[in-house]
Amino acid sequence: MPTKSLDEIQALVGETRTTVEDFEIERGKVAEFARAIRDPADIYLDEDAAREAGYDGIPAPPTFERTTEFPRYRPEGVDDHTGFDLGFDPRRIIHGEQAFEFERPLYVGDVLTGRTTLENAYEREGQRGGTITFAEFRTDYETQDGEHVLTARATSLETGRAIADDGGDGDE
Amino acid sequence: MSDHEVGDTYEVVTEDLRREDFVRYAGASGDFNRIHYDEPFVTDAGYDSVFGQGMFTAGVATRAVREAFGIAGLREYRTRFVSQVWPDDTLTTTLEVESVEETDDGTRVDASLTVENDDGESVIEGGVVVVD
Repeated sequence: MPTKSLDEIQALVGETRTTVEDFEIERGKVAEFARAIRDPADIYLDEDAAREAGYDGIPAPPTFERTTEFPRYRPEGVDDHTGFDLGFDPRRIIHGEQAFEFERPLYVGDVLTGRTTLENAYEREGQRGGTITFAEFRTDYETQDGEHVLTARATSLETGRAIADDGGDGDE
Repeated sequence: MSDHEVGDTYEVVTEDLRREDFVRYAGASGDFNRIHYDEPFVTDAGYDSVFGQGMFTAGVATRAVREAFGIAGLREYRTRFVSQVWPDDTLTTTLEVESVEETDDGTRVDASLTVENDDGESVIEGGVVVVD
C-alpha cells in the first residue's frame, strides 16, 4: 500500500506542477534513441533525408518524450519525474499505460517545458487479491515560442503484491 | 485521398531481443530501473530474468507506425502494457486500419496496434490516429 492514504492522494487531483524544463531536442540524443528502439530510418539521422520525406527538420521518434526521465530536465526541488510524491512503494510501481497526443512531431531544436497534472487517482481490487492504486498523469508540453505541441498521458499503478503477478512492465 | 483502407494491416518483426537492447534503451531513455538489466537483483526478487522496459517495446512498435503512415501526421499513439518482454523474444508489431474518415483537417485514419511475442501472446495493445 502507498504510505499515503487514498484520501491524501485524491486531495492532490487537479494540481499542476512544472516537471520538465529546458528539454532540448538534441540531434545526438534523437539518433541514440532511434537506435535504441531499433528503427534505422534515415529521417532520425539526417536532416536532408528528413526534409525530403516532408518533415520540417529531424523529427524525434514518437515516444522520445520519455527521455524527460533524465534528471537534467527536472526543475530544482522536483524529486520525482511525475512531480507528485504519492507514497507509492518504488518496488511495486508499474507503468500501466502511456499515450501521446501530438499537434506535430517534436523536432531537433525544440526546447520544451512540461507541466504535469494529476488527473485521477483510485483503487481497484487486483485479479489475484490485493489492492491496486492507480494514478493518471497528464503532461502538457510547450515550445520556447509558447506553442503547445504534445500531451503525454501516463497511468502508474502500485500493486498490493509482487509485481511479477500483475503484468505491466515494472516501470514507474 | 488516403492510401489506406479499412482492414489494411502493416507488420514489423523485431527479432531476438537481447539484454543489450534493454541496456541500450536504459542509456538512451534514462529509465535505469534495475529490473531491466541487473540479473542478480531480479532473480533474488523472484523473476526468471531481467525484462524489457514497457516503453522500449512501445518505442520498437513506432517503427511500424513510421513505415505505414510516417509520423508527420501522427496525432495519437496509445499503448497499454499487457505483459512483459524477455530476452530472446521475437516481437511482431501489427497495425490494422479500423476506420478512414474525411475531416476538415484531412483524412483521419484510426488503426489498432498490437505487439505479440513469439508465443502469440500480446505484450502491448493500443492504437494510433493519423491525419494527413
